[in-house]
Amino acid sequence: MPLNVDIEIQLGDRTIAVSFDVADGETVALVGRNGAGKTTALEAVAGIADATGRVALDGRSLIDVPPERRGIGVAFQDALLFPKLSVLENVAFPLRAAGAGRDGARARALAVLRDLAPAVDPNARPATLSGGERQRVALARALAAEPKLLLLDEPFAAVDAEGKPELRTLLRRTLATFDGPRVLVTHDPVEAMTLADRLVLLEDGRVTQTGTPDQVRNAPATRYAAEFVGTNLFEGSLEPEDEGVGILRAGGGELTVVWPERMPLAAVADVRATLSPAEIALHTEEPHGSPRNVFRGAVEEVATVGGRARIRLRTAPPLVAELTTGSVDRLGIVPGRDVWASCKAVEIRLMVPGEEPDTL
Amino acid sequence: MQRRLPLSFIVLGAIGAAFVALPVIGLALRAPWGRIGEILTGPGARTALRLSLEVSLLATLCSVVFGVPLAWILARGTFRGRAVLRALVILPLVLPPVVAGVGLLQALGRRGIVGSWLERIAGVQLTFTTAGAVVAATFVSIPLVVLSAEAGFRSLDPRFERAAAVLGAKPGYTLRRVILPMVAPQLVAGAVLAWARALGEFGATITFAGNLEGRTQTVPLAVFQTLQTDQEGAIALSLVLVVLSICVLVALRDRITGTG
Repeated sequence: MPLNVDIEIQLGDRTIAVSFDVADGETVALVGRNGAGKTTALEAVAGIADATGRVALDGRSLIDVPPERRGIGVAFQDALLFPKLSVLENVAFPLRAAGAGRDGARARALAVLRDLAPAVDPNARPATLSGGERQRVALARALAAEPKLLLLDEPFAAVDAEGKPELRTLLRRTLATFDGPRVLVTHDPVEAMTLADRLVLLEDGRVTQTGTPDQVRNAPATRYAAEFVGTNLFEGSLEPEDEGVGILRAGGGELTVVWPERMPLAAVADVRATLSPAEIALHTEEPHGSPRNVFRGAVEEVATVGGRARIRLRTAPPLVAELTTGSVDRLGIVPGRDVWASCKAVEIRLMVPGEEPDTL
Repeated sequence: MQRRLPLSFIVLGAIGAAFVALPVIGLALRAPWGRIGEILTGPGARTALRLSLEVSLLATLCSVVFGVPLAWILARGTFRGRAVLRALVILPLVLPPVVAGVGLLQALGRRGIVGSWLERIAGVQLTFTTAGAVVAATFVSIPLVVLSAEAGFRSLDPRFERAAAVLGAKPGYTLRRVILPMVAPQLVAGAVLAWARALGEFGATITFAGNLEGRTQTVPLAVFQTLQTDQEGAIALSLVLVVLSICVLVALRDRITGTG
C-alpha cells in the first residue's frame, strides 16, 4: 500500500507503538481517547516527532527524511495559521518554501482559497477568522503544494457546533478529490464514521482494532471500540435454556439470546455480544405482549446528534438506545424518568469464541 | 472601595517619589532656557550629539545582530552550560561599567589577548577610536536585547515552527517568515532599551575608548567634562538625555509600567 506505518515512539516512560497502512484514495481515521497517542503518531508520520521503525510512502522510506522534504500536507489541530501572515500568505507559504516565485505562489494560493474558502478575505489576518474559516484556510494551506499524503489532525476541534456539518461536507468533498492516502485523527465518532473508509483504534499507545466502521460496529474488540461506534457491548457468561435460546448474564442482568447454530450446546464462561442502540425500543409503561428482553431503569443522559438522540439508561445491564428526537419528545424522555427498554433476542449478536471477527 | 494606606507609608512613599523627581526638576529649573538653542548648536555640543547618535545606533545594531541569534540559542538550545552562558551574557548589566572598561582593555586593548592579535594581523586598533566607543556601548547594551528576545522566543508556541517545517520550510525560512515577525514587538523593545542604555554609556567608554572630542567623546562624556568649566552647558546637554529617556519610556510605556 502507498502509506505504510509501523513505528514506535518513546514519550517519556510511555511507548506508543502504531502500525497501519493506507491505500491511495483511502481515508483512514486514527481514533482514540485524549492521550491515546493518535496525534503523536500523526506527528511521527509528518516527521516532527522522533520515531523508530518504518514510515514509507510509495515504497520510499521517510523515517530519515526531515519534515520539510517529506512532501506531506498537514492540517493541524487549532489550524496553526501563522498569525503575522495574511490568509493568502499562509496558503502561499508551502509554495514559497518550496521555491515558487511570488506571483505564481499567490495565483495558486488564490485558486485553492477560492475553492475551499470562498467567503474568506485573502488579505485578512487569521485572528479575524472564525474557527471554521481558519480550518478551511488550514486545509487550503495543506493542499496548496499538492502533497502526496494528506494528514488531518482533529480538524473539528476548534469549530463550533453550527459550523461542523458544513465543514464535514467540505472535508468529504476534499478528501474525495485527493488521490493519495489520507489520514484523519479524531476522537469524534461522527467525524470518523462519516469521513473514514477504515478505522484504526488506538488505546493507551496500542492499536486495538482495525476495520471498516461496519466491521467495528458488528464486532467491537474492546469496550472503547463499542462505545466509539455506539454499540452496546455485553461481556459475560452464556448458558443454554430452551430450544435454540440461551441466557447471557452480563452487566448485572440477564439477556435472552438466540443460540448460534454453529456453537456447541454447552455453557460458555466468557462470551461477548453486541446490540445496536437503534434496535432498542423505549416505553413509558410496562410493555404488553411477550418481548423476553425488558429492562427497567432511569434515564441517565440524553445526547442529541443531528436528528438522532442517544439515551443512556441506568438499567441492568446498562444500555444505550438511539431514537429520533421526535420520538424522544413524543415519549417525554428526560433524564431521571423511569422507562422500560425492550429488544428482540434475535438482535443480540453473539461473538462466538474462537471465531475471530473478520476485522483484522 | 480603596483601602486607606497607613500614614507612615504615605510619607515614606512621598519622600521616595520626591527623591526621584527632584534631580529632574533641578535640571529643568536651572536650565539656561534662553541660551539652550545656542549651546546645543555650538560646535562642541553638536559634535558630541552627532557622535552619540552614531555610536548608540551602531551599538544597537551590533547588539541586535549578535544578540538575537544568541537569544535564540539560549531559548531553544539544550546544551550543557546553557545556564552559565545566560548568566555570562547578563553579567554586563550588573557589572560596574568601569570594570567593563578595564575588562575590555584586557581583551581588546592594544596589548589585550585579542586586541594585540587584531592590531598585528588586521591593523585594527579599537582603543581611542569611535569603533572602540561602539564596542564599549555594545558590551553594556547587548544583554537587554538578549533578555527581551529570549523572553519573546520562549513565549512562542513551538508548534508553529513544526508546522512550518512540515509545510516545507527550512529553518532559516521559518525564522524569517514565521518566528521573527511573531517576536517583533519584543525585538523592538529590546532594541529601544539597548539604544537608551548605549546612549547613556559612560564608564566603559571613558575607560576603554578614552575621552577624545570628535572621536570618543559622546554626550555623557561631554557633560562630565563641560561640568568642570561651564555648568549651564552641562545642564543643557543633560536635558537632551533626559528628553530622550522620557521618549523611550513613552514608547515602551505598556511594557515597562504594565499599564495601558
